[in-house]
Amino acid sequence: MQGGLDLPPLLRTFRPLSLDDLEAALRPAFLAGLEGDAAAYRRFLDLIGVRLRGFLRGHLARAGIAGNDEAEDVLQETLLALHLSRHTYDPAIPVSAWAHAIARYKLIDHLRRSGRHRGHLPIEDEALALSVSAGAASEAKLDVERALSGLPERTRRLIDRVKLQGASLAEAAQAAGMTETAAKVALHRGLKAMAKILVKRGTRPP
Amino acid sequence: MKTDDLAAVLAADAQRVDTASLTRATGLIALAGLAVTSCAILLMFGARADLAVAMATAPVLAKLTLGASVAGFSLVAFQRSLRPGRATVGALWFVMLPLAAVFAWALATLAGQPAGEWAGPILGRSWRACLISVTLYAMLPFAALLALARFGAPVKPRLTGIAAGLGAAGLATVAYALHCPEDALPFIASWYPLAMGISATIGAVAAPRLLRW
Repeated sequence: MQGGLDLPPLLRTFRPLSLDDLEAALRPAFLAGLEGDAAAYRRFLDLIGVRLRGFLRGHLARAGIAGNDEAEDVLQETLLALHLSRHTYDPAIPVSAWAHAIARYKLIDHLRRSGRHRGHLPIEDEALALSVSAGAASEAKLDVERALSGLPERTRRLIDRVKLQGASLAEAAQAAGMTETAAKVALHRGLKAMAKILVKRGTRPP
Repeated sequence: MKTDDLAAVLAADAQRVDTASLTRATGLIALAGLAVTSCAILLMFGARADLAVAMATAPVLAKLTLGASVAGFSLVAFQRSLRPGRATVGALWFVMLPLAAVFAWALATLAGQPAGEWAGPILGRSWRACLISVTLYAMLPFAALLALARFGAPVKPRLTGIAAGLGAAGLATVAYALHCPEDALPFIASWYPLAMGISATIGAVAAPRLLRW
Protein backbone atom coordinates (compact mmCIF):
# COMPACT_ATOMS: atom_id res chain seq x y z
CA MET A 1 0.00 0.00 0.00
CA GLN A 2 2.70 2.44 1.00
CA GLY A 3 5.00 1.47 -1.88
CA GLY A 4 4.18 4.51 -3.96
CA LEU A 5 5.10 6.79 -1.12
CA ASP A 6 8.59 5.44 -0.69
CA LEU A 7 9.66 6.00 -4.27
CA PRO A 8 12.47 8.51 -4.51
CA PRO A 9 11.21 11.81 -5.92
CA LEU A 10 13.02 11.36 -9.24
CA LEU A 11 11.32 8.07 -9.95
CA ARG A 12 8.01 9.60 -9.08
CA THR A 13 8.64 12.35 -11.61
CA PHE A 14 9.60 10.12 -14.49
CA ARG A 15 7.11 7.36 -14.00
CA PRO A 16 3.70 8.78 -13.22
CA LEU A 17 1.67 6.53 -10.98
CA SER A 18 -1.31 4.84 -12.53
CA LEU A 19 -4.60 6.16 -11.22
CA ASP A 20 -5.01 3.03 -9.10
CA ASP A 21 -1.53 3.27 -7.59
CA LEU A 22 -2.10 6.94 -6.97
CA GLU A 23 -5.34 6.20 -5.17
CA ALA A 24 -3.70 3.47 -3.11
CA ALA A 25 -1.13 6.00 -1.93
CA LEU A 26 -3.45 8.97 -1.60
CA ARG A 27 -6.36 7.47 0.27
CA PRO A 28 -4.70 6.37 3.51
CA ALA A 29 -2.73 9.62 3.69
CA PHE A 30 -5.83 11.71 3.10
CA LEU A 31 -8.02 9.75 5.52
CA ALA A 32 -5.37 10.07 8.23
CA GLY A 33 -5.24 13.78 7.43
CA LEU A 34 -8.98 14.01 8.02
CA GLU A 35 -8.31 12.66 11.51
CA GLY A 36 -5.85 15.47 12.09
CA ASP A 37 -2.57 13.72 11.22
CA ALA A 38 -0.51 16.62 9.83
CA ALA A 39 2.40 14.49 8.53
CA ALA A 40 0.10 12.17 6.59
CA TYR A 41 -1.82 15.14 5.29
CA ARG A 42 1.40 16.75 4.10
CA ARG A 43 2.19 13.52 2.23
CA PHE A 44 -1.21 13.72 0.58
CA LEU A 45 -0.65 17.35 -0.44
CA ASP A 46 2.73 16.53 -1.99
CA LEU A 47 1.40 13.54 -3.91
CA ILE A 48 -1.69 15.28 -5.21
CA GLY A 49 0.30 18.43 -5.92
CA VAL A 50 2.62 16.60 -8.31
CA ARG A 51 -0.31 14.95 -10.01
CA LEU A 52 -2.41 18.09 -10.35
CA ARG A 53 0.57 20.11 -11.60
CA GLY A 54 0.79 17.76 -14.58
CA PHE A 55 -2.98 17.83 -15.03
CA LEU A 56 -3.15 21.63 -15.03
CA ARG A 57 -0.09 22.14 -17.23
CA GLY A 58 -1.48 19.72 -19.77
CA HIS A 59 -4.81 21.50 -19.93
CA LEU A 60 -3.34 24.98 -20.01
CA ALA A 61 -0.97 23.92 -22.79
CA ARG A 62 -3.93 22.58 -24.74
CA ALA A 63 -5.72 25.87 -24.23
CA GLY A 64 -2.72 27.48 -25.89
CA ILE A 65 -1.33 28.97 -22.72
CA ALA A 66 2.41 28.67 -22.58
CA GLY A 67 4.51 28.99 -19.47
CA ASN A 68 4.18 27.13 -16.23
CA ASP A 69 3.74 30.01 -13.81
CA GLU A 70 0.04 30.18 -14.56
CA ALA A 71 -0.38 26.48 -13.90
CA GLU A 72 1.39 26.98 -10.59
CA ASP A 73 -1.08 29.72 -9.67
CA VAL A 74 -4.08 27.52 -10.42
CA LEU A 75 -2.38 24.67 -8.56
CA GLN A 76 -1.96 26.80 -5.46
CA GLU A 77 -5.52 27.99 -5.60
CA THR A 78 -6.62 24.39 -6.07
CA LEU A 79 -4.59 23.17 -3.09
CA LEU A 80 -6.13 25.90 -0.94
CA ALA A 81 -9.60 24.89 -2.19
CA LEU A 82 -8.88 21.20 -1.51
CA HIS A 83 -7.82 22.08 1.99
CA LEU A 84 -10.88 24.16 2.76
CA SER A 85 -13.20 21.58 1.14
CA ARG A 86 -11.95 18.50 2.94
CA HIS A 87 -15.34 18.08 4.61
CA THR A 88 -16.96 17.71 1.16
CA TYR A 89 -15.06 14.50 0.44
CA ASP A 90 -17.40 11.56 0.03
CA PRO A 91 -15.71 8.36 1.29
CA ALA A 92 -17.67 6.42 -1.35
CA ILE A 93 -15.55 7.84 -4.18
CA PRO A 94 -11.80 7.85 -4.89
CA VAL A 95 -9.84 10.71 -3.33
CA SER A 96 -8.26 11.36 -6.74
CA ALA A 97 -11.70 11.82 -8.36
CA TRP A 98 -12.60 14.36 -5.70
CA ALA A 99 -9.33 16.23 -6.11
CA HIS A 100 -9.49 16.24 -9.92
CA ALA A 101 -13.06 17.57 -9.85
CA ILE A 102 -11.91 20.49 -7.70
CA ALA A 103 -8.89 21.14 -9.93
CA ARG A 104 -11.13 21.09 -13.00
CA TYR A 105 -13.51 23.57 -11.38
CA LYS A 106 -10.67 25.91 -10.47
CA LEU A 107 -9.12 25.61 -13.92
CA ILE A 108 -12.37 26.48 -15.72
CA ASP A 109 -12.92 29.31 -13.25
CA HIS A 110 -9.42 30.59 -13.96
CA LEU A 111 -9.87 30.47 -17.74
CA ARG A 112 -13.29 32.05 -17.56
CA ARG A 113 -12.08 34.82 -15.35
CA SER A 114 -9.41 35.72 -17.86
CA GLY A 115 -11.89 35.39 -20.72
CA ARG A 116 -10.16 32.45 -22.35
CA HIS A 117 -12.62 29.66 -21.67
CA ARG A 118 -13.96 28.85 -25.10
CA GLY A 119 -16.28 26.14 -23.95
CA HIS A 120 -14.71 23.36 -25.99
CA LEU A 121 -11.79 22.48 -23.77
CA PRO A 122 -11.80 18.74 -23.23
CA ILE A 123 -11.85 19.43 -19.52
CA GLU A 124 -13.60 16.17 -18.75
CA ASP A 125 -10.75 14.18 -20.20
CA GLU A 126 -9.59 12.14 -17.25
CA ALA A 127 -7.08 10.30 -19.43
CA LEU A 128 -5.08 13.45 -19.91
CA ALA A 129 -4.26 13.39 -16.25
CA LEU A 130 -2.38 10.18 -16.90
CA SER A 131 -0.71 11.14 -20.14
CA VAL A 132 1.24 14.09 -18.81
CA SER A 133 4.27 13.59 -16.67
CA ALA A 134 4.76 16.23 -14.09
CA GLY A 135 7.83 18.38 -14.13
CA ALA A 136 9.37 20.15 -11.22
CA ALA A 137 7.59 22.98 -9.49
CA SER A 138 7.91 26.36 -11.10
CA GLU A 139 7.47 29.83 -9.72
CA ALA A 140 3.91 30.91 -9.21
CA LYS A 141 2.94 34.39 -10.17
CA LEU A 142 1.85 36.43 -7.26
CA ASP A 143 -1.77 35.43 -6.77
CA VAL A 144 -1.45 33.68 -3.43
CA GLU A 145 1.10 36.24 -2.30
CA ARG A 146 -1.35 39.01 -3.06
CA ALA A 147 -4.15 37.22 -1.23
CA LEU A 148 -1.81 36.84 1.71
CA SER A 149 -1.19 40.57 1.79
CA GLY A 150 -4.93 41.10 2.25
CA LEU A 151 -4.82 39.41 5.64
CA PRO A 152 -4.47 41.08 9.02
CA GLU A 153 -0.85 41.70 10.00
CA ARG A 154 -0.92 39.23 12.89
CA THR A 155 -2.24 36.38 10.76
CA ARG A 156 0.24 37.16 8.03
CA ARG A 157 3.14 36.97 10.45
CA LEU A 158 1.85 33.70 11.81
CA ILE A 159 1.63 32.20 8.33
CA ASP A 160 5.10 33.50 7.48
CA ARG A 161 6.53 31.80 10.54
CA VAL A 162 4.90 28.47 9.74
CA LYS A 163 6.03 28.79 6.15
CA LEU A 164 9.57 30.03 6.52
CA GLN A 165 10.78 28.18 9.52
CA GLY A 166 8.70 25.09 8.95
CA ALA A 167 7.81 25.68 12.55
CA SER A 168 5.01 23.70 14.10
CA LEU A 169 1.92 25.72 14.78
CA ALA A 170 2.64 25.56 18.50
CA GLU A 171 6.07 27.12 18.02
CA ALA A 172 4.79 29.73 15.63
CA ALA A 173 2.04 30.62 18.06
CA GLN A 174 4.50 31.04 20.90
CA ALA A 175 6.75 33.26 18.78
CA ALA A 176 3.75 35.38 17.81
CA GLY A 177 2.65 35.65 21.42
CA MET A 178 -0.59 33.79 20.85
CA THR A 179 -2.04 30.74 22.50
CA GLU A 180 -2.02 27.65 20.30
CA THR A 181 -5.81 27.64 20.14
CA ALA A 182 -5.90 31.26 19.05
CA ALA A 183 -3.24 30.53 16.43
CA LYS A 184 -5.25 27.57 15.12
CA VAL A 185 -8.32 29.72 14.73
CA ALA A 186 -6.35 32.60 13.19
CA LEU A 187 -4.60 30.32 10.70
CA HIS A 188 -7.81 28.65 9.59
CA ARG A 189 -9.63 31.96 9.26
CA GLY A 190 -6.68 33.41 7.39
CA LEU A 191 -6.71 30.58 4.85
CA LYS A 192 -10.45 31.00 4.37
CA ALA A 193 -10.01 34.73 3.85
CA MET A 194 -7.25 34.07 1.30
CA ALA A 195 -9.53 31.75 -0.66
CA LYS A 196 -12.22 34.41 -0.64
CA ILE A 197 -9.81 37.06 -1.90
CA LEU A 198 -8.70 34.72 -4.68
CA VAL A 199 -12.31 34.11 -5.77
CA LYS A 200 -13.14 37.83 -5.78
CA ARG A 201 -9.99 38.80 -7.65
CA GLY A 202 -10.70 39.89 -11.18
CA THR A 203 -14.37 38.96 -11.06
CA ARG A 204 -15.98 40.26 -14.19
CA PRO A 205 -19.72 40.80 -14.54
CA PRO A 206 -21.32 37.78 -16.25
CA MET B 1 4.88 31.82 -2.26
CA LYS B 2 6.28 28.47 -3.35
CA THR B 3 3.82 25.61 -3.62
CA ASP B 4 5.92 23.67 -1.12
CA ASP B 5 5.57 26.49 1.39
CA LEU B 6 1.83 26.61 0.84
CA ALA B 7 1.63 22.86 1.48
CA ALA B 8 3.51 23.39 4.75
CA VAL B 9 1.06 26.07 5.81
CA LEU B 10 -1.95 23.95 4.87
CA ALA B 11 -0.54 20.95 6.73
CA ALA B 12 -0.16 23.12 9.83
CA ASP B 13 -3.94 23.61 9.66
CA ALA B 14 -4.66 19.87 9.55
CA GLN B 15 -7.44 19.74 12.08
CA ARG B 16 -9.93 16.96 12.38
CA VAL B 17 -12.63 17.22 9.74
CA ASP B 18 -16.05 15.58 9.68
CA THR B 19 -17.13 14.46 6.19
CA ALA B 20 -20.66 13.63 7.35
CA SER B 21 -21.58 17.15 8.43
CA LEU B 22 -23.05 18.22 5.06
CA THR B 23 -25.31 15.18 4.96
CA ARG B 24 -26.46 15.77 8.51
CA ALA B 25 -27.08 19.45 7.87
CA THR B 26 -29.12 18.66 4.75
CA GLY B 27 -31.28 16.28 6.79
CA LEU B 28 -31.73 18.82 9.56
CA ILE B 29 -32.76 21.52 7.10
CA ALA B 30 -35.25 19.12 5.53
CA LEU B 31 -36.84 18.37 8.92
CA ALA B 32 -36.77 21.98 10.10
CA GLY B 33 -38.03 23.19 6.72
CA LEU B 34 -40.91 20.76 6.83
CA ALA B 35 -41.81 21.78 10.38
CA VAL B 36 -41.59 25.51 9.70
CA THR B 37 -43.49 25.49 6.41
CA SER B 38 -46.19 23.22 7.92
CA CYS B 39 -46.62 25.49 10.94
CA ALA B 40 -46.71 28.57 8.72
CA ILE B 41 -49.34 27.06 6.44
CA LEU B 42 -51.44 25.77 9.34
CA LEU B 43 -51.30 29.19 11.01
CA MET B 44 -52.02 31.11 7.81
CA PHE B 45 -54.66 28.88 6.20
CA GLY B 46 -55.50 26.23 8.79
CA ALA B 47 -55.71 22.50 8.08
CA ARG B 48 -58.37 21.32 5.68
CA ALA B 49 -61.54 20.73 7.69
CA ASP B 50 -61.67 16.97 7.12
CA LEU B 51 -57.93 16.33 7.42
CA ALA B 52 -58.24 13.48 9.91
CA VAL B 53 -60.45 11.52 7.52
CA ALA B 54 -58.91 12.76 4.26
CA MET B 55 -55.42 11.84 5.39
CA ALA B 56 -56.04 8.23 4.44
CA THR B 57 -57.63 8.97 1.06
CA ALA B 58 -55.83 8.51 -2.24
CA PRO B 59 -55.60 12.20 -3.29
CA VAL B 60 -54.07 13.37 -0.02
CA LEU B 61 -51.72 10.40 0.06
CA ALA B 62 -50.80 11.17 -3.54
CA LYS B 63 -49.89 14.75 -2.60
CA LEU B 64 -47.90 13.65 0.43
CA THR B 65 -46.09 10.91 -1.51
CA LEU B 66 -45.38 13.23 -4.44
CA GLY B 67 -43.93 15.90 -2.15
CA ALA B 68 -41.96 13.53 0.04
CA SER B 69 -40.45 11.54 -2.81
CA VAL B 70 -39.52 14.60 -4.86
CA ALA B 71 -37.97 16.13 -1.75
CA GLY B 72 -36.16 12.89 -0.91
CA PHE B 73 -34.59 12.31 -4.33
CA SER B 74 -33.76 15.99 -4.79
CA LEU B 75 -32.11 16.37 -1.42
CA VAL B 76 -29.97 13.29 -1.99
CA ALA B 77 -28.90 14.87 -5.28
CA PHE B 78 -28.42 18.24 -3.56
CA GLN B 79 -26.20 16.78 -0.90
CA ARG B 80 -24.12 14.93 -3.48
CA SER B 81 -23.81 18.03 -5.64
CA LEU B 82 -21.89 19.71 -2.83
CA ARG B 83 -19.24 16.98 -3.06
CA PRO B 84 -16.86 17.27 -6.03
CA GLY B 85 -16.45 14.09 -8.04
CA ARG B 86 -19.75 12.67 -6.86
CA ALA B 87 -22.28 11.97 -9.63
CA THR B 88 -25.41 14.03 -9.05
CA VAL B 89 -27.68 13.94 -12.06
CA GLY B 90 -28.56 10.27 -11.59
CA ALA B 91 -30.35 10.86 -8.30
CA LEU B 92 -32.11 13.89 -9.73
CA TRP B 93 -33.62 11.89 -12.59
CA PHE B 94 -35.47 9.77 -10.05
CA VAL B 95 -37.68 12.80 -9.44
CA MET B 96 -39.28 11.93 -12.77
CA LEU B 97 -40.76 8.72 -11.29
CA PRO B 98 -43.31 10.28 -8.90
CA LEU B 99 -44.03 13.04 -11.41
CA ALA B 100 -44.65 10.55 -14.22
CA ALA B 101 -46.86 8.48 -11.92
CA VAL B 102 -49.04 11.43 -10.96
CA PHE B 103 -49.27 12.61 -14.59
CA ALA B 104 -50.30 9.15 -15.75
CA TRP B 105 -52.90 8.92 -13.02
CA ALA B 106 -54.28 12.35 -13.90
CA LEU B 107 -54.46 11.49 -17.60
CA ALA B 108 -56.28 8.27 -16.79
CA THR B 109 -58.82 10.32 -14.82
CA LEU B 110 -59.26 12.83 -17.61
CA ALA B 111 -59.55 10.15 -20.27
CA GLY B 112 -62.93 9.18 -18.88
CA GLN B 113 -64.33 12.66 -19.51
CA PRO B 114 -64.97 14.69 -22.65
CA ALA B 115 -62.20 17.22 -23.33
CA GLY B 116 -64.62 20.10 -22.88
CA GLU B 117 -64.99 19.28 -19.18
CA TRP B 118 -61.31 19.07 -18.33
CA ALA B 119 -61.00 22.65 -17.08
CA GLY B 120 -63.01 21.92 -13.93
CA PRO B 121 -60.83 19.15 -12.44
CA ILE B 122 -57.62 20.86 -13.57
CA LEU B 123 -58.33 24.34 -12.23
CA GLY B 124 -60.34 23.35 -9.17
CA ARG B 125 -61.29 26.28 -6.97
CA SER B 126 -57.88 27.21 -5.66
CA TRP B 127 -55.19 26.75 -8.28
CA ARG B 128 -53.78 30.22 -7.69
CA ALA B 129 -53.53 29.69 -3.95
CA CYS B 130 -51.83 26.33 -4.49
CA LEU B 131 -49.35 27.60 -7.03
CA ILE B 132 -48.44 30.73 -5.10
CA SER B 133 -48.33 29.11 -1.65
CA VAL B 134 -46.20 26.13 -2.64
CA THR B 135 -43.76 28.34 -4.56
CA LEU B 136 -43.52 30.99 -1.84
CA TYR B 137 -43.30 28.63 1.12
CA ALA B 138 -40.68 26.63 -0.74
CA MET B 139 -38.44 29.70 -0.55
CA LEU B 140 -37.92 29.17 3.20
CA PRO B 141 -36.17 25.79 2.94
CA PHE B 142 -34.70 26.90 -0.39
CA ALA B 143 -32.88 29.80 1.24
CA ALA B 144 -31.60 27.54 3.99
CA LEU B 145 -30.36 24.99 1.44
CA LEU B 146 -28.52 27.63 -0.59
CA ALA B 147 -26.95 28.97 2.57
CA LEU B 148 -25.77 25.44 3.35
CA ALA B 149 -24.50 25.02 -0.21
CA ARG B 150 -22.04 27.84 0.43
CA PHE B 151 -20.32 25.51 2.90
CA GLY B 152 -20.04 22.84 0.24
CA ALA B 153 -18.02 22.77 -2.96
CA PRO B 154 -20.61 22.70 -5.75
CA VAL B 155 -18.73 22.16 -9.02
CA LYS B 156 -22.03 22.35 -10.93
CA PRO B 157 -23.86 25.14 -9.13
CA ARG B 158 -26.80 25.16 -11.54
CA LEU B 159 -27.48 21.54 -10.70
CA THR B 160 -27.20 22.34 -7.01
CA GLY B 161 -29.74 25.13 -7.48
CA ILE B 162 -32.17 22.91 -9.36
CA ALA B 163 -31.91 20.21 -6.71
CA ALA B 164 -32.40 22.75 -3.91
CA GLY B 165 -35.41 24.27 -5.67
CA LEU B 166 -37.05 20.91 -6.30
CA GLY B 167 -36.30 19.67 -2.79
CA ALA B 168 -37.71 22.79 -1.18
CA ALA B 169 -40.84 22.64 -3.33
CA GLY B 170 -41.25 18.99 -2.38
CA LEU B 171 -41.19 19.94 1.29
CA ALA B 172 -43.66 22.78 0.69
CA THR B 173 -45.91 20.33 -1.17
CA VAL B 174 -46.10 18.07 1.88
CA ALA B 175 -46.85 21.09 4.06
CA TYR B 176 -49.50 22.57 1.76
CA ALA B 177 -51.17 19.16 1.40
CA LEU B 178 -52.30 19.58 5.02
CA HIS B 179 -54.41 22.52 3.89
CA CYS B 180 -55.13 21.96 0.19
CA PRO B 181 -58.85 21.09 -0.17
CA GLU B 182 -58.54 19.87 -3.76
CA ASP B 183 -58.92 16.16 -4.43
CA ALA B 184 -58.90 15.96 -8.24
CA LEU B 185 -55.81 14.22 -9.59
CA PRO B 186 -55.61 16.55 -12.62
CA PHE B 187 -55.36 19.47 -10.19
CA ILE B 188 -52.62 17.77 -8.21
CA ALA B 189 -50.72 16.83 -11.38
CA SER B 190 -50.84 20.41 -12.69
CA TRP B 191 -50.16 22.92 -9.96
CA TYR B 192 -47.81 21.10 -7.62
CA PRO B 193 -45.43 20.12 -10.44
CA LEU B 194 -45.66 23.64 -11.88
CA ALA B 195 -44.71 25.11 -8.51
CA MET B 196 -41.81 22.65 -8.36
CA GLY B 197 -40.74 23.74 -11.83
CA ILE B 198 -40.81 27.42 -10.89
CA SER B 199 -38.85 26.75 -7.73
CA ALA B 200 -36.29 24.68 -9.67
CA THR B 201 -35.94 27.46 -12.23
CA ILE B 202 -35.32 30.01 -9.51
CA GLY B 203 -32.63 27.68 -8.21
CA ALA B 204 -31.09 27.24 -11.65
CA VAL B 205 -30.86 31.00 -12.11
CA ALA B 206 -29.88 32.06 -8.60
CA ALA B 207 -27.42 29.37 -7.57
CA PRO B 208 -24.65 29.98 -10.13
CA ARG B 209 -24.55 33.63 -9.02
CA LEU B 210 -24.57 32.91 -5.32
CA LEU B 211 -22.37 29.83 -5.16
CA ARG B 212 -18.98 30.92 -6.39
CA TRP B 213 -16.03 29.54 -4.49
